[in-house]
Amino acid sequence: MAKRILYIEDDADIGGWVKEDLESRGYEVIWLKSGDGAAEWAADADLVVLDVMLPGLDGFTVGQRLKKEAPGVPILMLSARTAVDDKLQGLRFADDYLTKPFHPDELAARLDVLQRRYGVPEEREIECGHLIVKPELHTVIDSRTGEEIPMTPKQLQILLYFLRNRGLVLTKEQIYEAVWGEPYLEGDKTVNVHIRYLREKIELDPGNPQIIETIRGIGYRVRK
Amino acid sequence: MRRGKGLFNLRSSLMSKYLLIVLSAIVLIPFAFPLVAVILSLSSGPIANPGPSNPYQSASRLEKMWHQEAARLKGASPEDVNAALKRIRSQYGKARMFWVDGGGTLRLALPDNPHLPAKWDASYTVAYMKNAVNGNVFTTIAFIGGSVKSGFMAFQVPRSEMGSSGTGIGARYGTILVSGILLILGLFLFVSLLFFYRIRKRLVRLEGAMTAPSESGIPQPVAVTRTDEIGRLERSFNDMIRQLERSREREAEEEALRRDLVAKLSHDLRTPLTAIRGHAFSLRQEPLSDKAKESLGLIDRKIDSLGRLIDNLFSFTLLSSGKYPYHPQRIDIVRMVRTHLAGWYPAFEQAGFEIDLDLPESSVYWEIDPQWLERVLDNYLQNVLRHAKSGRYVGMIVSDRGGGSIAIADRGPGMTGESDEKGAGIGLSIAALMLKDMKLRSDVRSGPEGTVVFILPE
Repeated sequence: MAKRILYIEDDADIGGWVKEDLESRGYEVIWLKSGDGAAEWAADADLVVLDVMLPGLDGFTVGQRLKKEAPGVPILMLSARTAVDDKLQGLRFADDYLTKPFHPDELAARLDVLQRRYGVPEEREIECGHLIVKPELHTVIDSRTGEEIPMTPKQLQILLYFLRNRGLVLTKEQIYEAVWGEPYLEGDKTVNVHIRYLREKIELDPGNPQIIETIRGIGYRVRK
Repeated sequence: MRRGKGLFNLRSSLMSKYLLIVLSAIVLIPFAFPLVAVILSLSSGPIANPGPSNPYQSASRLEKMWHQEAARLKGASPEDVNAALKRIRSQYGKARMFWVDGGGTLRLALPDNPHLPAKWDASYTVAYMKNAVNGNVFTTIAFIGGSVKSGFMAFQVPRSEMGSSGTGIGARYGTILVSGILLILGLFLFVSLLFFYRIRKRLVRLEGAMTAPSESGIPQPVAVTRTDEIGRLERSFNDMIRQLERSREREAEEEALRRDLVAKLSHDLRTPLTAIRGHAFSLRQEPLSDKAKESLGLIDRKIDSLGRLIDNLFSFTLLSSGKYPYHPQRIDIVRMVRTHLAGWYPAFEQAGFEIDLDLPESSVYWEIDPQWLERVLDNYLQNVLRHAKSGRYVGMIVSDRGGGSIAIADRGPGMTGESDEKGAGIGLSIAALMLKDMKLRSDVRSGPEGTVVFILPE
């Protein structure tokens, strides 16, 4: 089933183009030219993309109302964060911000991240090298043999965190705090140790890792 | 206008008030003497009656006494007269007296006086009397029994004897005079002092109001209680404050208007820019020649840089008017730099940069707004990516020495060198403003071999 995006934009040119682009990426797009009646649509939407400077009600007012009506639907604001800070001072209802003129690829990427953050059901199978990861079943399968690779819950959580942030370089602090849910303490080697054991299980050659890449001095990355 | 009116407004002028005080002092001086006299008499008894201490004091009384004595001797024998004179002499020891009988013969002089002639004729008597009246001896003459035929008797007292009590009274009046003047002078000084003390108090209060500004930085108005010169000064001061407040309000309004304008402008510029990008993106889906694809890529890059420029313009307006939200907190810059560079890693990697990171083992804490520092680092890293492409190197070094420092190094042509993209100016201005507000500074070392930007505490 296609994800439904509620898109509120007054400019016909931009609206038509973004709608077309998002549809070509497999989304269902409901495009409104003003904030009127947006609240009724919000409950049925998976995501909201909102332009700030709407005629009549401005984007901030619309956004606040949407968040009230449908708190579970993530909102992406097409605005500079500084403008939001200046105007709202604490009423930060938006989940992400994107400044015009945005690139369609970036918009798509941000929408992906938002969906994952809001627990929009994940893909059932993720391919990564010779691995097939099934997040719902908590299993990792070696595609060459079809056998399951046994893992501790923490190892699986780390791998899933990498897969959700594929292409991004993650620092050990970020990994620790995302997986353990506690503030990282200086000098803690837990993440390094866990990643070493994880590599022994999933890498073909743990001495020359191909799946979890080390970025010297910064952190780790799983490539797209 | 008001000043002219004020000058002649005598009722409410400090000058006229003080003049009034001086005038009252002058007018009061004559009244001071009776006042002092009353005070002195209350403290040392009546002065109008000096008592019987000096029997020679009053000439009229002596004269009266002499004539009474003479009248009583009517028909008395010369011996009686002698006896009477001796008796009187016993009362008035300092006086001299003599008498001459009806025949002009000097009968008795007390004390004995050889200068007096034995015989007195009429002309001599008149000459003697004339001398006596002008002389320094008080002389009174009475006919015995009130008749010329029985002769006359004379009574003489040196006038110095009579004045002896008179000088006492004079000294007393001198005391009254001096203490009267002193009293008035003292009173005048006291009232003057009070007058100036109150002026001073009001001036000090005004000064306090001027130098104790409220939260807005503008002093509070003072309460005007009087209409004199200081009262007018206070009123002018209040007027000035009101004007200051009005101009401050106007300034804030203009500032808000300008900010609003820039915000609207930046939005209005972004909208067509986004549309252009949309159309360029649509064009890309069509079959195009290589040259056309190259042009589209250029359009895309220009849109990006224009978008950044608009963003910077907006940020700069907010920053310069102090409206850019600032939330400082204690931040580990080692961790921040690592996370930040992690975010930039793919972009540098894609541009073929060598990425170098040198961090200390332990944390380094700064009291700053992390979003601000990220923005500053973004500006510098953006610059490296755009202007130092030729060096293919970016390095970030955090040091824990001297309060900590962050260095961003590249091997580009240097900041003065030519670069294919311009427009870094406003980004660097923003970075400079932000660093200053965070009490940090940047130190740039640039040469043809590359550039190192140090960020360190002021």
